[in-house]
Amino acid sequence: MSAHNHAHDASSAHGHDAHGYGPHHVTSSKVFFNVLLTLLFLTIITVAASRVDFGAANLLIAMLIASVKASLVIAIFMHVKWDTAINKVFFLSSFLFLSLLMIFTLSDQATRGRANPINKMKAPVDWQFVQPKAQHTNH
Amino acid sequence: MSHDHGHSVVVPAPGPGFLPHTVAHHFDTPTQEFQSAKLGFWLFLATEILLFGGMFAAYFFFHQAYPETFHQGGKQLSWELGAINTTVLLLSSWTMAMGVRCAQTSQKNKLLVYCGLTVLGAVIFMVIKTIEYMAKYEHGFLPVFGGMGYDEATGQLAWYKDYHGVMEGVPFGNLFFSIYFTMTAIHGLHVIIGAGLILWIMKGAAKGRFHAHYYLPVDLVGLYWHLVDLIWIFLFPLLYLVP
Repeated sequence: MSAHNHAHDASSAHGHDAHGYGPHHVTSSKVFFNVLLTLLFLTIITVAASRVDFGAANLLIAMLIASVKASLVIAIFMHVKWDTAINKVFFLSSFLFLSLLMIFTLSDQATRGRANPINKMKAPVDWQFVQPKAQHTNH
Repeated sequence: MSHDHGHSVVVPAPGPGFLPHTVAHHFDTPTQEFQSAKLGFWLFLATEILLFGGMFAAYFFFHQAYPETFHQGGKQLSWELGAINTTVLLLSSWTMAMGVRCAQTSQKNKLLVYCGLTVLGAVIFMVIKTIEYMAKYEHGFLPVFGGMGYDEATGQLAWYKDYHGVMEGVPFGNLFFSIYFTMTAIHGLHVIIGAGLILWIMKGAAKGRFHAHYYLPVDLVGLYWHLVDLIWIFLFPLLYLVP
């Protein structure tokens, strides 16, 4: 089974193991343990950073640290670093679509009040144009 | 490796104590089976990201609308318990990653031990979660009882009963706890499902089904468990350490 322990060789992700029973990438225990220690350390940093008042930046800092932790979990624990290109695209595209949801929702909210002065200048609603069908049946 | 197209491909066991794996008849090779299942599972995980993503979008929307509500609401949660649960999930994520590694290297007993530790992590997580939920119930922060109705006088929904008055004067205090319970409950459901799947993996592992030549189910359940961890990495600072 020593053939499986070609751990750090990224090119092995696309190749097949010696037996031809599918792609293998066996990450070394040391790498996994170092990732665990980093994740635990970053958790302490997250709590420590929340104790300091950075104002509005607190939320941003917390999200940045969480993103680093998430990237480690995805890349190493979930083996995405060594996965095939199509699998990477499938999974990581979900974050692209999620960012669309976030960006449009939050930018809409952030700019909402600005349209109010214009709305107030509008003429009263003429229901003739809002419900044209009702007008037609009356004729 | 050669085979007839009319017959199912059988992946031999790597040694005594392991079972051979018969590739599903609609696949030509074990590699094809592995890649197809993996691609499908990544697609499923992408939908999971979007499921939780919708809730995270709601969180950010309401956080921006009522920052004081989230600040006060977050203070009602025990960050210590949240931090312990974060540590438990990170450790269980590591044991799961090690479990998959043991499946890849045909280490049956170690696979069982690491899977068992992961399930233990899930149990500890859910016990702590239950303790937290009970504390919220005692404060009256459980948004499930009674009918829903808007109370003009207090600006709260009628089923929101703040027995200890800690959220008094905070607009829409119920909003924070609605989001807290919705997100943690759906996350908790994933923890329970994940633990069940790992138990199923252990059942197969005990029979010797998973080894270096066939470890696909262990790999996929592992991915599911890491996703549970992934979601919590964001939930912890957003719910427990809200600025």
